[in-house]
Parts: sequence; C-alpha cells; structure tokens
Amino acid sequence: MSGITVFQAAKIITMDPNRPTATHVAVRDGHVLAVGDATCADQWGRVHHDDRLAGTVLMPGFVEGHSHMSETCFWDYTYVGFHDRIDPDGQPWPGLTEIGAVLARLRDAAARLGPDEPLIAWGFDPIFLSSERLTRDHLDSVTADRPVVVLFSSGHLMCVNSAALAAVGYDRASNVEGIQRRPDGEPNGELHEMAAMFPVMRRIGMDFRTRSHQRAYVDAFGRICRRSGVTTATDLFAMVTQEGAEALAQATARPDYPVRIVPAVSTLHSTPEEVRAQMADLRQLNHDKLRFGAVKLMTDGSIQGFSARILWPGYVGGQPNGIWNMPPAQIHATCAMMQQAGIQMHIHTNGDEASTVVLDALAAAARAHPWPGARHVLQHAQMMGPALFARAAELGVCVNLFANHIWYFGDQHAALTIGPDRAARMDACRAALDAGLTMAIHSDAPVTPMGPLFTAWCAVNRQTMSGRTLGAAQCISVPEALYAITMGAARTLKLEAEIGSIEAGKRADFAVLAEDPLAIDPMRLKDLPVLGTVIGGHVDALI
Amino acid sequence: MSLPRLPLTVIGGYLGAGKTTLINRLLREDHGQRVLVMVNDFGAINIDADLLVSADGDTMTLTNGCVCCTMGADLFMAMGDALDRRPRPDHLVIEASGIADPARIATAARAEPDMAYGGIAVVVDAMHWGALADDPQIGAQIRGQVAVADLLLISKAEDGVPPALTARLAALSAAPQIDIGDCAAVAPLLLGGLAPLQGKREGGGHPAYVGWSHDGDEAMSRAALAAKLAQAPQALYRIKGLVAAPDSAGWEVQVVGRSIEIKPALDRVARTRLVAIGPQSAIARADIADWWSQG
Ligand SMILES: [Zn+2]
Repeated sequence: MSGITVFQAAKIITMDPNRPTATHVAVRDGHVLAVGDATCADQWGRVHHDDRLAGTVLMPGFVEGHSHMSETCFWDYTYVGFHDRIDPDGQPWPGLTEIGAVLARLRDAAARLGPDEPLIAWGFDPIFLSSERLTRDHLDSVTADRPVVVLFSSGHLMCVNSAALAAVGYDRASNVEGIQRRPDGEPNGELHEMAAMFPVMRRIGMDFRTRSHQRAYVDAFGRICRRSGVTTATDLFAMVTQEGAEALAQATARPDYPVRIVPAVSTLHSTPEEVRAQMADLRQLNHDKLRFGAVKLMTDGSIQGFSARILWPGYVGGQPNGIWNMPPAQIHATCAMMQQAGIQMHIHTNGDEASTVVLDALAAAARAHPWPGARHVLQHAQMMGPALFARAAELGVCVNLFANHIWYFGDQHAALTIGPDRAARMDACRAALDAGLTMAIHSDAPVTPMGPLFTAWCAVNRQTMSGRTLGAAQCISVPEALYAITMGAARTLKLEAEIGSIEAGKRADFAVLAEDPLAIDPMRLKDLPVLGTVIGGHVDALI
Repeated sequence: MSLPRLPLTVIGGYLGAGKTTLINRLLREDHGQRVLVMVNDFGAINIDADLLVSADGDTMTLTNGCVCCTMGADLFMAMGDALDRRPRPDHLVIEASGIADPARIATAARAEPDMAYGGIAVVVDAMHWGALADDPQIGAQIRGQVAVADLLLISKAEDGVPPALTARLAALSAAPQIDIGDCAAVAPLLLGGLAPLQGKREGGGHPAYVGWSHDGDEAMSRAALAAKLAQAPQALYRIKGLVAAPDSAGWEVQVVGRSIEIKPALDRVARTRLVAIGPQSAIARADIADWWSQG
C-alpha cells in the first residue's frame, strides 16, 4: 500500500458543502483520503507531511469544458495578436496595437529562421487596430526572399507577401474569389476563406490534422493547462483517426502528465450502431487521463462572423441570417440517433435560433428514446435567455456559456452585431443558474486564451474591453463562478464523481493559487497568480 | 513533363436530393478515367462486391481504377492528399454536405495551381426542392446552392421537370438544367469526358449527348480565347482541352455551363485539342464546329 501524504495549505477551498474550507488534505493512491486539519488522516495510519504548498491556497483543479488542443500547433508560429498572450513555455507575448509593432516582431522572427523556412504568424486581429490595413508591401519589407504568411485570428483570412503570392501564381489574371486586390488589379496580399488560402497553406506545410495529438504538442497543451490551474480539459471537435487516438492515449498516459483530456469527437456515422461501435473502439483507449465517450456537433457559425443563426430582429447591420453547418432536419436526425445510441453530445450553438432548434431536437429525441441521464450540453449558447434556459432545465440539458466573449467581443456585439439590448443579456450566467441549470463557462482556447480565473472574472464582472459593464443583471457571485469552473464544468463532462471538488474519494487534482479568490476584490480575480497544479497527488513544479 | 492538373468537380444539393445515387452511377459507369470520389460518409455508397478490389476504413478501391474515400478532418487538406497521390487521379469529385455552399469548395480548384476547375453540379430534387427553397430556416442556403451551380441536375422527375421548377431555377441561375433521369450516362456531365464517343458502346438506345472534338494548329492569345469561349453555344455543357498560344506555352481550358476557366498550360501545347459535349436535344455537332471555325 502506498503512503499517505498530508498537504498543508494556507487555505483549501473544497467546493464540498460539507466542509467548505480546510487547511490540510491527505492523499493516497492519487486520491483524496481526508480533508481537515493536520490530523485529518491520522486514523488511516502513518502519514507523511508535505509543506511544499504550505503558503498557497488550494482549489479543486479547474475544469476547462470547452477548449481545443490545436492551440499548441499555433505556437510553432509567431504570435502577432492584439492581446497579450503567454506561450506554452510561459513566455509572455505582449499584444501588438499597431502595424509597425507587428512588422518589427515579424522582422525579429525572420532573423531567426533557417534559409528556406517560411515565416508564419498567427492571431492578427485588424478590428482592434486603427492604423492602415496590412498589405503585401508591408510584408515584403519584412523579407522578400521567402513566403511570409500572417493568419488572422478569425481563421478566415490571411495576408501574404509577394513571394507567397508568386509561389501559388496569384496575379492580376487570377480568377479566384477571395484574392483581394489593389485598385490597379494586382493582389494586395489579403486572401479570404479557405479555398484561396489552402494553396498557400499546402505549400508551407500547414496541416494541423494530426499534429495536435502528437507527443510534443500534447505536452505543450499540458503546460498551458498547468499554468492556468486546469487539471481537466476538453478537446472539443477532435476529428480523430485511430492512429491519432492511439498517439494521444500514449502521450497522456505517463503518471506526471498534468491534465486529464476529455475529447469530444466529431463523427460522420449515420446509424446508432456505427457510432456506438466507433465510440466503443475509442473507449478502449481510455485511462485515468483520457476519456473518449462524447461527440461534438456543430450547428451554426459565430455571432461576430455574422454566421450564427439568430432569431428576429436579426443582425443590426441588416446582414442576412447566418449559416447552418447542419440543416435543422439533420440536427433532429443526429440528436435522435445519438440519444438512441446513448452517446452524450456537446452541441455548438451560438445564435438563439440554433439553440431553439437544438432544444426542439433534444426534446423530440428525449420523447423517442428516453434517457434521463443524457446530460447533453449546449456549447456557447450565447443568446439563450430565461425561456430557453427553462426548456433546457426541463430536458436535463446543461449549458457551457462563453463568458470570455463579454470582454473580448462585448463592445462589438453591442455596436455591430446584435445591438445593446441583446448584448446585455448574452452569456447570461445569472439566468442560467436561476433556471437551475448545470452551467460551465469557457475560453474556447485558442479562440481566447485558456484561463478559468479570467473566465470567472468575466462572468462575475461582465467588463468589456472599453470598460463598460455589459448587462450587470447577469453578473454572478465569485463562489458561483468558482463553482462553474470546477463542479459545474465537471458535471457537464459527467465526471463530478471523480473531480471538481476536494473531498474524500475524489482524485487529488488541485489548482495551486497564490491568494484566496474569495477574499480578494472580485475585479482582481483575473490577476490572481496560479502557481501550478497537483494532478493525482503529484505536485507539478511551482511556476 | 509536368503532372497534369487535377480537375475538381463538386456535387452539391440537399440531403436526399440524389447525390449519392449520382455518385454510385458515376463509379459504375465505363468512363475509362481513374476518378477519386470523396464523400462525407460511406454509409450510402453501394458498390457491388465484384467491383471492389479492396475496402479498408476510409478508402474503397474499385476494379475500374476509381477510388472512393471519406474526406476526414479537413476537406482542404484532403484535397492536398488527392494531389499528392501517385499516380495522380484523372479527376477528383467531391460530394458537398447537404447544406454546404459548393462554391466554397470548388473555388479551391481555381486557386490551386495544380488543380483545374471542373465545375459545380447541383442535384435538384424535382419533388422537394420548391418547398426547401421556401423554408424559412434553410431556404437561403438552398437557393444559394443553385445560384452558384454550373450544371443543374434534376432528379426524381419521373413525369418530366415541372415548368414552374424550370422557371424558378432559371431565375436563380443561367446554368443548363439537365434531367438526369434522361441521361444515358452521368460521367460526361461530371467529368467532361467523351468516352462513349471514343469507340465505346453508346448508352441504351437514346444517347442524350452530342460530342465534338477538334484537333488543329491555331494559336490564340488569352483574350482571343476568352472572347471565343464566351460566344460558345449556350446549350453546351462542357468544353475542355488545350489551346496553343502565339507567345506562351498555351492554355488549359475548362468550360462548365456558364463558367469559363483558362489557366496557363503546364507544358508547351503543340496542337490545339478540344472536346465539348451538349444535349442532343438542343445542339448538333455541326453547330459546335461552326462556332469554333467562324473567324
Ligand atoms: Zn470551440
């Protein structure tokens, strides 16, 4: 029998109502044996006291219910976004607020490349820049002897230099939608949408399909999680091959891998038997740190991209309604099939029309194939209000709201997409909790950086980039937000029996914090330092 | 010699319109081309066991040299895989998912230097399209598919295409409307090949197509060629081939419906060689020959 370790902390916030706070937690076999004071495990036998965490505040390891492992692939490239960002190795990359700074960072990166390497940058976000538009001329000034490619944060655009244009033969005669032009008809370097971007990506080796499940990237993802206090994270909409799934299973299996991965895979099968068989194959690979079992469905697009399906009165600029990724008839058919197969679904719905259709489909599926414990999750669900939340509650459906949007995109939603009335009730955490729902909140990393304390800060304060409070009535309390990033998210993953709180019987997964989030000014929540994590009782080096 | 460009044809149309039926027909027809077909889901692809060489998880290889595979995680990267196959397939056919905008996919063939634009064929279900096009939730996307089509293939029109449907489609698109129930073969529509006219048996009794081929020594500038193609008889479904040029390597031509695509040829074109097809009911071989030969 392995030994008992009793960790001492300045304070332990347990998320267990039976013992909300403590100073010591005893761990055996990777699980919590007892919680309380220094003597809490004495009745279990000889204990070893560990004071490495003595000055810290422990919380249950945070649970990121909506992230993507592909984040780490982008860090192969140079970050040129508007917002500050930290790479997997902990190096901060300050946000760049004008084009001169973007070009300077690109020059710097170009100087460090091998002779034939293309220069690739990511995260560029011109909506926040007031300076002139980025063009091929700017990028030619960085380097003319190799392709330069700057990916925009939306994922739908890139800007490239003349060498990249020449590599794919784009010129004034090219008859390709998506090649943006100067007044003289020559391409200006901006390429819109995948069809026009793909020839460039193909030639510079940008193929993410299987990369994010390879060892080096899986490890880097672990470092990102540890830095933000996350001990369980999803890889939502993972399109896995058997080979990729095996690589992921191997890379996450070592005892000190710092995070439990919950992939929700995309599936193309069209019968319950086929999906069941696919999931059974994947589940064979499961272990402590890897949990295949759920699927992800994409229904509509994004609100800021005007591709979310929204109800009347639509977009304030009169843009046409958004795009279905799956037509409603197929949403119905797929929900029924998954429900019949007994497979939990994480369903991307941004607009309120999409959320409505999904709830209709889930209601029909529930009537046809009753499954009280289905616990499907509406992901993003950014425009759901009390009426839709009530329907979700009736169906036992959970929501995972995109709280980070309030800060990153809230001003734009008020000014440009859905207007202030509906923006003020976006990501309506208060209404969701009042409806009695199981609620998580998320970053959608890499769309916004992973950081559950930042996400909690957003839900508590609802501040936008310009400093306004967007819909104060939807603010939630700090304890509610902390619950959402631990137990709430664990419940959406059906893992609340194992993780999400610090109590006897659960896995010894902790977030190690420098201060008590319940004691500080809620406006400082996002700045509260995370010192590291404990996973299965293994203390990961303090940062 | 360079590898020939890979032509891409995208098949669009709503769920149940008949895309899979069309693909099953294409894979069975005797068109003599090594076609790579990428589908969303194997479920509905239905190939007789005696036509199969092998079938593993996501790829089926047929005795006629065709391959059918699923597109996997990333459609565009899967196109890259198709380009990297050796030998390179003669033609790539992609089935767009039911609600997808087929132009979003087909544009890649215009953009990618190693591909040729083989057109967008949208399958329109004569019985249900009208209701779908009026649906408040998906109508705009359904009408959008027709608007970007180069060929409209009407399915399930056992009693003929209703004139109201014809008029509605025509208001959205100038693409030729073809009742696929009437077609002896679908390969000429999708691939632009003329296999049935090259010594092979023509389809049962009523060949729906008339074919034309040309071999000459004319050389044309891009502008002259574009002007010529713009005047091609309206009824032609497809024109493809290589055209010599006075002061460059020459041109590669793909015309599908109203879409005209001219790319610089990869290797020097010694002689101008073109093939074209159209519906026998609307055009005669002599009409096509006249159009090409007129100054
Ligand atoms: Zn996501």
